[in-house]
Order: sequence, then structure tokens, then C-alpha cells
Amino acid sequence: MNTQNENGHMLLFSSNEWYKKLSHEELQKVISQAKAWFDRLNALGKVKGGQALARKGAILSGRNGRSVSDGPFAESKEAIGGYLLLEVETLEEAIEIARTNPALAYGASIEIRPVAEECPLNTWARESALQEQLANA
Amino acid sequence: MNTQNQNGYMLLFRGTELRKSLSPEEMQKVSEDWMAWFRRLTEEGKAVAGNPLEREGKIVSGKERVVSDGPFAESKEAIGGYFLLDVATMDEALAIAKKCPGLPYGICVEVRPVAGECPIGAEARTEAQFAQV
Repeated sequence: MNTQNENGHMLLFSSNEWYKKLSHEELQKVISQAKAWFDRLNALGKVKGGQALARKGAILSGRNGRSVSDGPFAESKEAIGGYLLLEVETLEEAIEIARTNPALAYGASIEIRPVAEECPLNTWARESALQEQLANA
Repeated sequence: MNTQNQNGYMLLFRGTELRKSLSPEEMQKVSEDWMAWFRRLTEEGKAVAGNPLEREGKIVSGKERVVSDGPFAESKEAIGGYFLLDVATMDEALAIAKKCPGLPYGICVEVRPVAGECPIGAEARTEAQFAQV
């Protein structure tokens, strides 16, 4: 599998409430460790961008987004608390960076995704068209 | 309630694995509409960044820092991409989100205000203040 990627990689931080079990002191400690972690990566030129997200938002679905509901739910396994865009070319390097995040020691989890060159829908449309051509040839 | 936010908003596109439900022509059309939508927003200065994400990914979790395969790409919650919006209100962010070309095909758009600081830090501080009272 070719894991080289010029477009960088994204870390998505889960907001699975791993921090609720911590004492106040532990919390303060992980907060300052996380800040140091981010500052270090930034100083190394690895960070393209990164932000925390407010807990409450909205989820739209349906034609014209006619259904608007509160979201995400904190209990949802897929809820995201923030992201970091890394200026690294390989998935391996992105994984190694993610593994050093201090929140992991307390039960957090981080999703790592390569940034895509183009919209996957475009890629699939092209590949399907190609397959059809080959089938009809 | 129209909430204001100087830090902007993030749109997270979920459930974007549409291959099973669309024909190649439909996929092409949605993709083109989506790119045009993003281009327009960028020209208007409303979108400052956006990227699609590759389906394959990994997850690192817990104390052991175990690396496992990323979330199931076909789930309705899997994130396919994002936009970062430079708009001041939730209403404006929602109005933009409603135009997502993928919505009629079953995708969801999650709209989140960008936080000025990590909410965990903010909560910890608030709790500390209460504890001192």
C-alpha cells in the first residue's frame, strides 16, 4: 500500500469523554502536556492547522438540509473534539505523531486520515466509467 | 437562537461513501456540483479551507497506543471531508451547509463552531472556580 501523500494527513480527536474520569490535577497536567505537544509540533513545522471544536453544533440531513437536529451527542463514538492537519507525507509518520499525544494515556483515541488529492466521488466516477469502457470493448 | 462565533465554523461531511447508491454519471455530477460549491464559497471568502479525506485510515487509542484500522468507511458517520468557514453566525453556517450537493443522496453535514480554546480546558477552569467557592 502506497502511504505517501503530498496533501498531508489529518488527525481527528475523539471526544469520548475520556477526561471525565480524571482528577483535577490530572486534568491540568494533561492540558498542559497537550499544549506542549502541539507547540512542539508547530515549532517543527509539522502543523498546517488545528482547532478545537465547541461541543454543541447541529446535524443536517435530507434534501436542502431540511432536517436539523442538535449534535453531536457526547456519547457518540464518532464525536470529534478537534482536529490537527499535519504537514507530513506518510501515514506512518502521522501515526507516530498521533501515538505521542498525551491524552492517549487517559483513554482518548485519535483517527488518522490521509487528505485526498481529489473528491473520491470524482475518482470513483472515473474508475467506473473506465471499467464500463473495458467491459464494452 | 443565532449564536455568534469569531472563530468560524467547521462543516464535517458524514456518510459520503455513495458508491453503492449512485451511478457513475450521478457521482460525476455530485462531485462537480460540490467542487463548484466550494469554489464559490472560497471566492466569497466564506470558505477558508476544505479537503476530502481518503477512506483508508487508522485509529490510535488508549494507554497502549494500539494502532487499528480506521472506522468503517461505509458507515453513515464516517467523515469524508470538511470545510472551514469564515462566517460569524451559526445561522449563516447552517444556510451554507444546506446547500451541500450530497444531502439529497443521504449524507449528513455536521456543523460545529470552532472553539477559541479546548473545551476541556475551559470546563476544568469553570469547575475549579466552583470548587473554590
